[in-house]
Amino acid sequence: MNAPKLLSDRPVFVVGIGLHRYQRRSDATYVSLGLTAVREALVDAGLEWTDVEAAYTGTALLGMGASRIMLSRLGATGIPMTQVENASASGSSAIAQACLEVASGRSDVVVALGVDKPRGGLGAAPGEAGINNLEGGSVVPFTHFALLASEYMNLHEVSDEQVAKVAVKNHRNGSQNPFAQRQKVRTLEEILTEPISGSLTRLQCCPVGEGAAAVIIASEDGINRLQIDRSRAMQVVASATKTEGLYGEGVGIDAALTAETGAAAFEEASLGPSDLDVLEVHDAFAIEELLYAEALGLCQPGEAASRIESGDFDIGGSCAFSPSGGLLAMGHPIGPTGVGQVAEVVRQLRGEAGTRQQSDARVGMAHMVGIGAVCVVHILRKP
Amino acid sequence: MTTEPRHPHLLKMTDPPTIVGHRCVTCERVAFPPDPYGCEKCGSPASTFEQWDLEARGSVQAVATVHRHHRSTPVTPFTVGVIGLVGGPVVKAIVEGDSVVVGSTVEGFLTPGEQDDDGNVIVDLHFRVVQ
Repeated sequence: MNAPKLLSDRPVFVVGIGLHRYQRRSDATYVSLGLTAVREALVDAGLEWTDVEAAYTGTALLGMGASRIMLSRLGATGIPMTQVENASASGSSAIAQACLEVASGRSDVVVALGVDKPRGGLGAAPGEAGINNLEGGSVVPFTHFALLASEYMNLHEVSDEQVAKVAVKNHRNGSQNPFAQRQKVRTLEEILTEPISGSLTRLQCCPVGEGAAAVIIASEDGINRLQIDRSRAMQVVASATKTEGLYGEGVGIDAALTAETGAAAFEEASLGPSDLDVLEVHDAFAIEELLYAEALGLCQPGEAASRIESGDFDIGGSCAFSPSGGLLAMGHPIGPTGVGQVAEVVRQLRGEAGTRQQSDARVGMAHMVGIGAVCVVHILRKP
Repeated sequence: MTTEPRHPHLLKMTDPPTIVGHRCVTCERVAFPPDPYGCEKCGSPASTFEQWDLEARGSVQAVATVHRHHRSTPVTPFTVGVIGLVGGPVVKAIVEGDSVVVGSTVEGFLTPGEQDDDGNVIVDLHFRVVQ
């Protein structure tokens, strides 16, 4: 069955963005974090809370029933509220649901937000599935990606220093982002200190803190009826979600899943990799940016490290990778991360990203993966 | 007091030790670890699986030495490898010794770990480079 082209039949737009800075766990409640982001998004869109017809909250760590106790403090309007959990892609999936709701015609204005606070451990369900393996608890996420790094570096004769340059770039980008958890420029020497696992060092692994991000999704009818500034509304032209298939023994599932999901998104948008000006990628670990650059078709297999070194993926290069600082520097508070990516893409397409602006950005992608494994990709375009 | 694998359904304490996987009778997919639910390839229920012995021998596809760990065991630093077994499936396991590199041929051996509350010795399967 061919899926109906909802996003082209009834276009949807991001009309408002708002964030609470990503930061280490603090005494701030998740309610205050989330309200900060949503209030900012409403102001950004020029809307009132009473204009919002539904809410989707991406969260993986808060537990049941997070939305109403938070959003009712904007006014208990009785709108439908739904929590969305999809591991690291929870916020991305909240956006996907919000886009679907607007594209279907059910609502004209929907908020998608992400909010989380670390509670010690991820509590991932796959560990409770009763499927044991030989490694026991010795392979945690950073070692999984250290092993992927080993495989990639051996196959393509890439050095530790070349992988670490991803982190140099993304920390530099994050230093210009007031919402980033890490806002320091780091030298290659600093990046290479404090080994964690394999070639990965502390600054090549993302910080998991707290924060919030919100975007407001609207239809053309909503934009016209509520007199929203059309020049700052960025169109969502693809929303693709896939889960891991069977790719064969020894094949990197993370890259294969990204390749499939990216291809589906490009097809939906009738665009290709060369059209991307901005890419917010799931760089929870530095090696991932290289893997996904190639999986998404931004360069040939084995080329990503040299493209990073050439500056091609810098702000000002052919495609700015993670201009927000990415997960490595902006941070990865889980629920908010995918929403924050879309907020950054919108800021870039509007031309409002200040010192980290990619010039003449017209098309951007946000890409997240999550434990399970799931991948969610959105493509946005300046109309 | 006995000696037994941490997860008895994954290992046979033969010499050399044997890894236990499953084979889907319907689609012939061989997989590790043995799955109690169903086949990811064809969807057949696990009741149609047969136990499938796998030689604890293979080639290292990736390797990482872990310097920070959230638990007291294994003691850091320790090295984890991705090992393509000669029987097909790929496993991750601790590889002992300093000489392991991508491409090394490795074999499994049983190594004693902690004792449980009854004094039984729990053993794990680790790998080492075949000289």
